[in-house]
Amino acid sequence: MLVRFLMTATLLAVVYDGALAQKASATATIASADGTAPVAAKAAPAILSKVTQIDIVGLKKLIKPTGRPLLINFWATWCPPCTEEFPDLVKIDTDYRGKLDVITVSLDDLADIDSYVPKFLAEMKAEMPAYLLHTKDEGAAIRLIAKDWSGNLPMTVLYDGSGSVAYMRNGKIRVQPLRDNIDKLLSPPATTK
Amino acid sequence: MKRVVLLFAAILAIGVAANAQGLAIGGKMENFSLTDANGKAQTLNDVKGTNGTVIIFVSSQCPVVRAYNERMNQIATDYKAKGINVIGVNANVTESPMEIKMHGEATYKFPVLIDKNSVLAEKINANNTPEAFFVDSKNVLLYHGAIDNDRSGRNVTEPYLRNAFEAALAGKKVEKASTVAFGCTIKKPGDGN
Repeated sequence: MLVRFLMTATLLAVVYDGALAQKASATATIASADGTAPVAAKAAPAILSKVTQIDIVGLKKLIKPTGRPLLINFWATWCPPCTEEFPDLVKIDTDYRGKLDVITVSLDDLADIDSYVPKFLAEMKAEMPAYLLHTKDEGAAIRLIAKDWSGNLPMTVLYDGSGSVAYMRNGKIRVQPLRDNIDKLLSPPATTK
Repeated sequence: MKRVVLLFAAILAIGVAANAQGLAIGGKMENFSLTDANGKAQTLNDVKGTNGTVIIFVSSQCPVVRAYNERMNQIATDYKAKGINVIGVNANVTESPMEIKMHGEATYKFPVLIDKNSVLAEKINANNTPEAFFVDSKNVLLYHGAIDNDRSGRNVTEPYLRNAFEAALAGKKVEKASTVAFGCTIKKPGDGN
């Protein structure tokens, strides 16, 4: 009886998870037939990325200088240039991990925080911290990032370790200039022998 | 001679700054000429309302604009009788004139003009869709920004554009003359679309 219950519950959980991540191809686990150790499933659905809701206070905290360069990307699943540039951001996150903090801030509807947003991130295999900004005063959030920004997405800002803007791109990123600016920030100052 | 050169440089600097910032509140929108869906040239003075005109930059592809379509139509209907005309402008180089024509005719209760090569958008520094510029009968800018404070339309608490209309019709100052909100980027030439 217990085994049958466990199997049914697990199957329902997998179906639900699969519905959220239809096209994703990550791994998941299901209980073994005897209800003991979990085993890896073939063609299992994605483990959805966690997306944290923030307000303007949270946004301020995110861009607070930590001594390490920060790349922050504002995007939404409804924004085609945003989704088009996402693989490049994932690659940058991978290539500079440990040296550069990369975070993404979604402007999707709050209702999508557990569905479309994490589903897309899972499809992208994005591992950087992901947030969803929900605020009644979008203007304040926009002005916090850039005085002349009209709020059009995507927006990508590179901060140096002290919190100064080193590079900014409103619109789809241009990969090489962005990488050049990251490299410039990370390159050690010339030493004299 | 030195004074003349300095004066010329100052005038040039002011001109450059004004261009970078686009059209400021209280500034006059110059008469423009754009083509309508049938290829006919239409000037601002041809399409303006007796009590004002709102130019709304739209897109046939942007999901945020789609979410506003019904609200824009309602605004156009509500204020037509009050002498304020709604004019859509599509400045996206990624959208063909045929696409703009078909979408506009099927969707809107107001005309959509085509801003070829984003000339008007560049001139008044429009970057976002939807983005509204409300001018009075003398083409003086009274309001610039978002239509309201909720993309979804479910929780609108500040109908910015309607408030601006009502203030203007009552001969009062527009309290919130400038707002920003998240939206889609206008795809202009050279943006690497």
